Amino acid sequence: MSRPQRQFEAAVRGGDGLAIIDLHGEMDGFAEEALNAAYAEATSSEPPAVLLNFSDVDYINSTGIALIVGLLAQARKSHRRLLTCGLSEHYQEIFRITRLADFMSIFPDESAALSELQAS
Amino acid sequence: MEDRENKDRAARDAAWAKPVDRLRVSGVPDGALNLNVEGRQLTGPLRGFGKMWQKTYRVRLDGVEATPQEVIAAWKENFSKFWPEGNAFYGPLTGIAPGEVAVLNLSMPGRIPLSTGVMVIFADEESFTFMTPQGHMLAAWITFSAFEEDDTKVVQVQALLRATDPLSEIGLRLFGHKSEDEFWRHTLKALAAHFGVTASVEQQVTCVDPRLQWSQAGNIWHSAALRTPLYAPVHWLRRMIRRS
Repeated sequence: MSRPQRQFEAAVRGGDGLAIIDLHGEMDGFAEEALNAAYAEATSSEPPAVLLNFSDVDYINSTGIALIVGLLAQARKSHRRLLTCGLSEHYQEIFRITRLADFMSIFPDESAALSELQAS
Repeated sequence: MEDRENKDRAARDAAWAKPVDRLRVSGVPDGALNLNVEGRQLTGPLRGFGKMWQKTYRVRLDGVEATPQEVIAAWKENFSKFWPEGNAFYGPLTGIAPGEVAVLNLSMPGRIPLSTGVMVIFADEESFTFMTPQGHMLAAWITFSAFEEDDTKVVQVQALLRATDPLSEIGLRLFGHKSEDEFWRHTLKALAAHFGVTASVEQQVTCVDPRLQWSQAGNIWHSAALRTPLYAPVHWLRRMIRRS
Protein backbone atom coordinates (compact mmCIF):
# COMPACT_ATOMS: atom_id res chain seq x y z
CA MET A 1 0.00 0.00 0.00
CA SER A 2 1.61 3.26 -1.13
CA ARG A 3 1.34 6.33 1.02
CA PRO A 4 -1.89 8.14 0.08
CA GLN A 5 -1.77 11.27 -2.06
CA ARG A 6 -3.70 13.15 0.63
CA GLN A 7 -3.27 11.91 4.17
CA PHE A 8 -6.37 10.89 6.06
CA GLU A 9 -7.64 13.09 8.87
CA ALA A 10 -10.75 12.93 11.02
CA ALA A 11 -12.25 15.68 13.19
CA VAL A 12 -15.09 15.32 15.69
CA ARG A 13 -17.83 17.84 16.44
CA GLY A 14 -21.42 17.78 17.67
CA GLY A 15 -23.38 17.48 20.85
CA ASP A 16 -25.35 15.00 22.93
CA GLY A 17 -27.81 13.78 20.34
CA LEU A 18 -25.41 13.33 17.46
CA ALA A 19 -21.65 13.25 17.05
CA ILE A 20 -20.31 14.15 13.62
CA ILE A 21 -16.98 12.88 12.32
CA ASP A 22 -15.69 14.92 9.38
CA LEU A 23 -13.43 12.72 7.28
CA HIS A 24 -10.77 14.14 4.97
CA GLY A 25 -8.33 12.66 2.47
CA GLU A 26 -7.95 9.02 1.47
CA MET A 27 -9.32 6.09 3.46
CA ASP A 28 -7.03 3.09 3.33
CA GLY A 29 -4.97 1.07 5.78
CA PHE A 30 -3.15 4.22 6.92
CA ALA A 31 -6.47 5.69 8.13
CA GLU A 32 -7.02 3.07 10.84
CA GLU A 33 -5.45 4.85 13.79
CA ALA A 34 -6.99 8.27 13.09
CA LEU A 35 -10.43 6.81 12.33
CA ASN A 36 -10.56 4.65 15.45
CA ALA A 37 -9.34 7.54 17.62
CA ALA A 38 -12.03 9.83 16.18
CA TYR A 39 -14.72 7.22 16.75
CA ALA A 40 -13.59 6.72 20.36
CA GLU A 41 -13.71 10.51 20.91
CA ALA A 42 -17.10 10.80 19.21
CA THR A 43 -18.66 8.07 21.35
CA SER A 44 -17.10 9.14 24.66
CA SER A 45 -20.26 11.15 25.48
CA GLU A 46 -22.46 8.16 24.53
CA PRO A 47 -24.44 9.83 21.71
CA PRO A 48 -27.24 7.66 20.28
CA ALA A 49 -26.02 8.31 16.74
CA VAL A 50 -22.78 9.06 14.90
CA LEU A 51 -22.68 10.67 11.46
CA LEU A 52 -19.69 9.98 9.20
CA ASN A 53 -19.27 12.91 6.82
CA PHE A 54 -17.50 11.72 3.65
CA SER A 55 -17.88 14.93 1.65
CA ASP A 56 -14.10 15.59 1.68
CA VAL A 57 -12.98 11.99 1.14
CA ASP A 58 -11.23 11.50 -2.21
CA TYR A 59 -10.80 7.76 -2.23
CA ILE A 60 -11.72 4.62 -0.28
CA ASN A 61 -10.06 1.28 -0.96
CA SER A 62 -11.13 -2.14 0.32
CA THR A 63 -9.14 -1.77 3.55
CA GLY A 64 -10.96 1.54 4.14
CA ILE A 65 -14.30 -0.22 3.69
CA ALA A 66 -13.17 -2.91 6.15
CA LEU A 67 -12.46 -0.14 8.68
CA ILE A 68 -16.02 1.15 8.25
CA VAL A 69 -17.37 -2.40 8.68
CA GLY A 70 -15.43 -2.57 11.95
CA LEU A 71 -16.92 0.75 13.14
CA LEU A 72 -20.38 -0.43 12.20
CA ALA A 73 -19.91 -3.62 14.22
CA GLN A 74 -18.84 -1.53 17.23
CA ALA A 75 -21.83 0.79 16.78
CA ARG A 76 -24.31 -2.09 16.54
CA LYS A 77 -22.83 -3.69 19.65
CA SER A 78 -23.57 -0.44 21.53
CA HIS A 79 -27.02 -0.06 19.93
CA ARG A 80 -25.84 3.15 18.31
CA ARG A 81 -26.90 4.32 14.84
CA LEU A 82 -24.16 4.98 12.33
CA LEU A 83 -25.15 7.32 9.51
CA THR A 84 -23.27 8.60 6.50
CA CYS A 85 -23.47 11.66 4.32
CA GLY A 86 -21.51 13.21 1.47
CA LEU A 87 -20.69 9.95 -0.34
CA SER A 88 -20.22 10.30 -4.09
CA GLU A 89 -22.43 8.27 -6.43
CA HIS A 90 -19.57 5.84 -6.93
CA TYR A 91 -19.09 5.17 -3.22
CA GLN A 92 -22.83 4.93 -2.61
CA GLU A 93 -22.69 2.11 -5.15
CA ILE A 94 -19.77 0.52 -3.27
CA PHE A 95 -21.74 0.74 -0.02
CA ARG A 96 -24.59 -1.10 -1.75
CA ILE A 97 -22.45 -3.89 -3.20
CA THR A 98 -20.62 -4.42 0.09
CA ARG A 99 -23.99 -4.54 1.91
CA LEU A 100 -22.97 -1.65 4.18
CA ALA A 101 -26.03 0.20 2.90
CA ASP A 102 -28.23 -2.49 4.51
CA PHE A 103 -27.03 -1.35 7.93
CA MET A 104 -26.23 2.35 7.54
CA SER A 105 -28.51 5.17 6.44
CA ILE A 106 -26.99 7.13 3.57
CA PHE A 107 -27.87 10.80 3.23
CA PRO A 108 -26.83 13.20 0.48
CA ASP A 109 -25.64 15.83 2.97
CA GLU A 110 -25.45 16.73 6.64
CA SER A 111 -28.70 18.73 6.73
CA ALA A 112 -30.67 15.79 5.28
CA ALA A 113 -29.22 13.51 7.97
CA LEU A 114 -30.05 16.02 10.73
CA SER A 115 -33.63 16.46 9.42
CA GLU A 116 -34.17 12.71 9.48
CA LEU A 117 -32.77 12.38 12.99
CA GLN A 118 -34.98 15.20 14.29
CA ALA A 119 -38.04 13.62 12.67
CA SER A 120 -37.35 10.16 14.10
CA MET B 1 -3.73 18.67 -14.84
CA GLU B 2 -7.44 18.22 -14.19
CA ASP B 3 -7.62 15.65 -17.01
CA ARG B 4 -4.88 13.62 -15.38
CA GLU B 5 -6.60 13.76 -12.00
CA ASN B 6 -9.85 12.56 -13.59
CA LYS B 7 -7.99 9.69 -15.30
CA ASP B 8 -6.32 8.70 -12.02
CA ARG B 9 -9.67 8.78 -10.26
CA ALA B 10 -11.31 6.69 -12.98
CA ALA B 11 -8.48 4.13 -12.78
CA ARG B 12 -8.82 3.90 -9.01
CA ASP B 13 -12.62 3.64 -9.18
CA ALA B 14 -12.25 0.79 -11.69
CA ALA B 15 -10.58 -1.27 -8.97
CA TRP B 16 -14.05 -1.84 -7.49
CA ALA B 17 -16.51 -4.43 -8.82
CA LYS B 18 -19.83 -3.30 -10.25
CA PRO B 19 -22.94 -4.13 -8.21
CA VAL B 20 -24.58 -7.49 -8.95
CA ASP B 21 -27.85 -8.91 -7.64
CA ARG B 22 -26.75 -12.52 -7.99
CA LEU B 23 -23.49 -14.24 -8.84
CA ARG B 24 -22.88 -15.73 -12.27
CA VAL B 25 -20.23 -18.40 -12.78
CA SER B 26 -18.43 -18.95 -16.07
CA GLY B 27 -15.40 -20.81 -17.38
CA VAL B 28 -15.24 -23.41 -14.62
CA PRO B 29 -13.03 -26.34 -15.73
CA ASP B 30 -14.52 -29.78 -16.21
CA GLY B 31 -13.06 -31.36 -13.09
CA ALA B 32 -14.44 -28.73 -10.71
CA LEU B 33 -17.42 -29.27 -8.47
CA ASN B 34 -19.51 -26.21 -9.26
CA LEU B 35 -22.23 -25.99 -6.62
CA ASN B 36 -23.63 -23.30 -4.30
CA VAL B 37 -22.37 -20.25 -6.22
CA GLU B 38 -24.56 -19.63 -9.29
CA GLY B 39 -27.46 -17.34 -8.42
CA ARG B 40 -26.32 -16.71 -4.86
CA GLN B 41 -26.12 -13.22 -3.34
CA LEU B 42 -23.09 -11.72 -1.67
CA THR B 43 -23.20 -11.61 2.10
CA GLY B 44 -20.15 -10.25 3.90
CA PRO B 45 -19.44 -10.12 7.64
CA LEU B 46 -22.38 -7.91 8.58
CA ARG B 47 -24.88 -10.55 7.46
CA GLY B 48 -23.31 -13.49 9.25
CA PHE B 49 -24.44 -15.27 12.42
CA GLY B 50 -21.47 -15.78 14.74
CA LYS B 51 -19.02 -13.61 16.60
CA MET B 52 -17.21 -11.15 14.35
CA TRP B 53 -13.45 -11.57 14.17
CA GLN B 54 -10.66 -9.66 12.55
CA LYS B 55 -7.76 -11.96 11.75
CA THR B 56 -4.50 -10.64 10.38
CA TYR B 57 -1.70 -12.87 9.12
CA ARG B 58 1.59 -11.30 8.03
CA VAL B 59 4.89 -12.43 6.65
CA ARG B 60 8.00 -10.31 6.10
CA LEU B 61 9.90 -10.93 2.89
CA ASP B 62 13.37 -9.97 4.17
CA GLY B 63 15.83 -9.25 1.40
CA VAL B 64 13.32 -9.54 -1.43
CA GLU B 65 13.87 -6.93 -4.14
CA ALA B 66 10.45 -7.31 -5.81
CA THR B 67 8.10 -4.36 -5.40
CA PRO B 68 4.75 -4.78 -3.61
CA GLN B 69 3.12 -4.57 -7.05
CA GLU B 70 5.29 -7.44 -8.30
CA VAL B 71 4.49 -9.50 -5.21
CA ILE B 72 0.76 -9.00 -5.72
CA ALA B 73 1.06 -9.83 -9.43
CA ALA B 74 2.81 -13.12 -8.55
CA TRP B 75 0.19 -13.85 -5.89
CA LYS B 76 -2.71 -13.28 -8.29
CA GLU B 77 -1.06 -15.44 -10.94
CA ASN B 78 -0.34 -18.36 -8.58
CA PHE B 79 -3.17 -17.91 -6.12
CA SER B 80 -4.33 -21.53 -5.98
CA LYS B 81 -0.79 -22.96 -6.05
CA PHE B 82 -0.04 -21.44 -2.66
CA TRP B 83 -3.04 -23.12 -1.02
CA PRO B 84 -2.75 -26.29 1.07
CA GLU B 85 -3.15 -29.55 -0.85
CA GLY B 86 -6.72 -30.76 -1.37
CA ASN B 87 -8.15 -27.25 -1.88
CA ALA B 88 -8.76 -25.69 -5.27
CA PHE B 89 -9.53 -22.17 -6.47
CA TYR B 90 -11.13 -22.15 -9.93
CA GLY B 91 -10.83 -18.56 -11.06
CA PRO B 92 -11.78 -17.18 -14.44
CA LEU B 93 -9.22 -17.17 -17.26
CA THR B 94 -9.08 -13.40 -17.00
CA GLY B 95 -7.53 -13.82 -13.54
CA ILE B 96 -8.26 -12.06 -10.28
CA ALA B 97 -10.04 -8.91 -11.42
CA PRO B 98 -12.91 -6.81 -10.02
CA GLY B 99 -16.28 -8.52 -10.42
CA GLU B 100 -14.88 -11.97 -11.25
CA VAL B 101 -16.38 -14.98 -9.49
CA ALA B 102 -14.32 -18.01 -8.50
CA VAL B 103 -15.48 -21.47 -7.47
CA LEU B 104 -13.75 -23.02 -4.46
CA ASN B 105 -13.49 -26.76 -3.85
CA LEU B 106 -12.38 -27.20 -0.28
CA SER B 107 -11.59 -30.25 1.78
CA MET B 108 -13.39 -30.31 5.13
CA PRO B 109 -12.44 -32.44 8.12
CA GLY B 110 -13.11 -36.10 7.30
CA ARG B 111 -12.28 -35.29 3.65
CA ILE B 112 -15.85 -34.11 3.08
CA PRO B 113 -15.89 -32.02 -0.11
CA LEU B 114 -17.27 -28.51 0.00
CA SER B 115 -18.09 -26.39 -3.02
CA THR B 116 -18.58 -22.68 -2.59
CA GLY B 117 -17.17 -19.48 -4.09
CA VAL B 118 -16.00 -15.91 -3.72
CA MET B 119 -16.35 -12.71 -5.69
CA VAL B 120 -13.43 -10.37 -6.28
CA ILE B 121 -14.89 -7.17 -4.91
CA PHE B 122 -11.75 -5.06 -5.26
CA ALA B 123 -8.43 -5.49 -7.03
CA ASP B 124 -5.65 -3.05 -7.74
CA GLU B 125 -1.89 -3.41 -8.10
CA GLU B 126 -1.20 -3.61 -4.36
CA SER B 127 -4.18 -5.51 -2.98
CA PHE B 128 -7.28 -7.53 -3.76
CA THR B 129 -10.35 -8.41 -1.73
CA PHE B 130 -12.78 -11.32 -1.78
CA MET B 131 -16.33 -11.30 -0.48
CA THR B 132 -18.23 -14.51 0.18
CA PRO B 133 -21.69 -15.48 -1.07
CA GLN B 134 -24.65 -17.07 0.73
CA GLY B 135 -23.83 -20.61 1.81
CA HIS B 136 -20.13 -20.07 2.36
CA MET B 137 -19.32 -21.18 5.93
CA LEU B 138 -17.81 -17.75 6.58
CA ALA B 139 -19.57 -14.45 5.94
CA ALA B 140 -16.29 -12.74 5.20
CA TRP B 141 -14.33 -9.99 3.61
CA ILE B 142 -10.72 -11.01 3.00
CA THR B 143 -8.06 -8.58 1.80
CA PHE B 144 -4.69 -9.65 0.45
CA SER B 145 -2.08 -6.92 0.29
CA ALA B 146 1.63 -6.20 0.00
CA PHE B 147 3.40 -3.08 1.22
CA GLU B 148 6.71 -1.73 2.50
CA GLU B 149 7.35 -1.42 6.22
CA ASP B 150 10.75 -0.47 7.64
CA ASP B 151 12.37 -1.08 4.23
CA THR B 152 10.99 -4.62 4.08
CA LYS B 153 8.19 -5.97 1.94
CA VAL B 154 5.32 -7.25 4.03
CA VAL B 155 2.58 -9.52 2.72
CA GLN B 156 -0.70 -9.64 4.58
CA VAL B 157 -4.00 -11.50 4.67
CA GLN B 158 -6.65 -9.71 6.69
CA ALA B 159 -10.04 -11.33 7.18
CA LEU B 160 -13.10 -9.77 8.74
CA LEU B 161 -15.43 -12.67 9.28
CA ARG B 162 -18.34 -14.27 11.08
CA ALA B 163 -19.59 -17.83 10.86
CA THR B 164 -22.51 -17.68 8.45
CA ASP B 165 -24.96 -19.82 10.42
CA PRO B 166 -25.26 -21.71 13.74
CA LEU B 167 -23.73 -24.91 12.33
CA SER B 168 -20.74 -23.01 10.96
CA GLU B 169 -20.33 -21.24 14.31
CA ILE B 170 -20.12 -24.60 16.10
CA GLY B 171 -17.67 -25.85 13.47
CA LEU B 172 -15.60 -22.68 13.74
CA ARG B 173 -15.33 -23.01 17.52
CA LEU B 174 -14.49 -26.73 17.42
CA PHE B 175 -11.95 -26.83 14.61
CA GLY B 176 -12.63 -24.05 12.11
CA HIS B 177 -10.46 -21.32 13.65
CA LYS B 178 -7.49 -23.69 13.78
CA SER B 179 -8.06 -24.83 10.18
CA GLU B 180 -8.50 -21.25 8.99
CA ASP B 181 -5.28 -20.17 10.72
CA GLU B 182 -3.35 -23.13 9.31
CA PHE B 183 -4.74 -22.43 5.83
CA TRP B 184 -3.51 -18.84 5.65
CA ARG B 185 -0.23 -19.57 7.43
CA HIS B 186 0.48 -22.26 4.82
CA THR B 187 -0.48 -19.86 2.02
CA LEU B 188 1.81 -17.08 3.25
CA LYS B 189 4.72 -19.46 3.81
CA ALA B 190 4.26 -20.82 0.28
CA LEU B 191 4.19 -17.28 -1.10
CA ALA B 192 7.35 -16.40 0.82
CA ALA B 193 9.00 -19.59 -0.49
CA HIS B 194 8.09 -18.51 -4.02
CA PHE B 195 10.34 -15.49 -3.41
CA GLY B 196 13.05 -17.68 -1.85
CA VAL B 197 12.30 -16.71 1.76
CA THR B 198 11.73 -19.04 4.70
CA ALA B 199 9.63 -16.96 7.01
CA SER B 200 7.45 -17.27 10.07
CA VAL B 201 3.93 -15.90 10.02
CA GLU B 202 2.76 -13.31 12.56
CA GLN B 203 -0.87 -13.57 13.54
CA GLN B 204 -3.22 -11.17 15.30
CA VAL B 205 -6.81 -11.97 16.21
CA THR B 206 -9.37 -9.47 17.54
CA CYS B 207 -12.99 -10.12 18.43
CA VAL B 208 -14.78 -7.14 16.88
CA ASP B 209 -18.27 -8.14 18.02
CA PRO B 210 -18.90 -10.98 20.50
CA ARG B 211 -22.64 -11.14 19.86
CA LEU B 212 -24.44 -13.84 17.91
CA GLN B 213 -26.86 -12.42 15.32
CA TRP B 214 -29.83 -14.74 15.78
CA SER B 215 -31.72 -12.82 13.09
CA GLN B 216 -29.28 -14.41 10.60
CA ALA B 217 -29.72 -18.01 11.85
CA GLY B 218 -31.82 -18.80 8.75
CA ASN B 219 -28.66 -18.52 6.64
CA ILE B 220 -28.30 -22.25 7.28
CA TRP B 221 -30.81 -22.86 4.46
CA HIS B 222 -28.06 -22.06 1.94
CA SER B 223 -25.28 -23.89 3.81
CA ALA B 224 -22.73 -25.23 1.33
CA ALA B 225 -21.44 -27.55 4.08
CA LEU B 226 -24.83 -29.29 4.16
CA ARG B 227 -25.71 -28.98 0.48
CA THR B 228 -22.44 -30.11 -1.09
CA PRO B 229 -22.51 -33.69 0.27
CA LEU B 230 -26.20 -33.90 -0.67
CA TYR B 231 -25.89 -32.61 -4.22
CA ALA B 232 -22.37 -33.72 -5.18
CA PRO B 233 -23.42 -37.30 -6.07
CA VAL B 234 -26.19 -35.94 -8.33
CA HIS B 235 -23.67 -33.56 -9.92
CA TRP B 236 -21.19 -36.36 -10.66
CA LEU B 237 -23.96 -38.66 -11.98
CA ARG B 238 -25.24 -36.00 -14.36
CA ARG B 239 -21.73 -35.44 -15.64
CA MET B 240 -21.18 -39.15 -16.24
CA ILE B 241 -24.46 -39.37 -18.16
CA ARG B 242 -23.53 -36.34 -20.30
CA ARG B 243 -20.17 -37.94 -21.15
CA SER B 244 -21.58 -41.38 -22.06
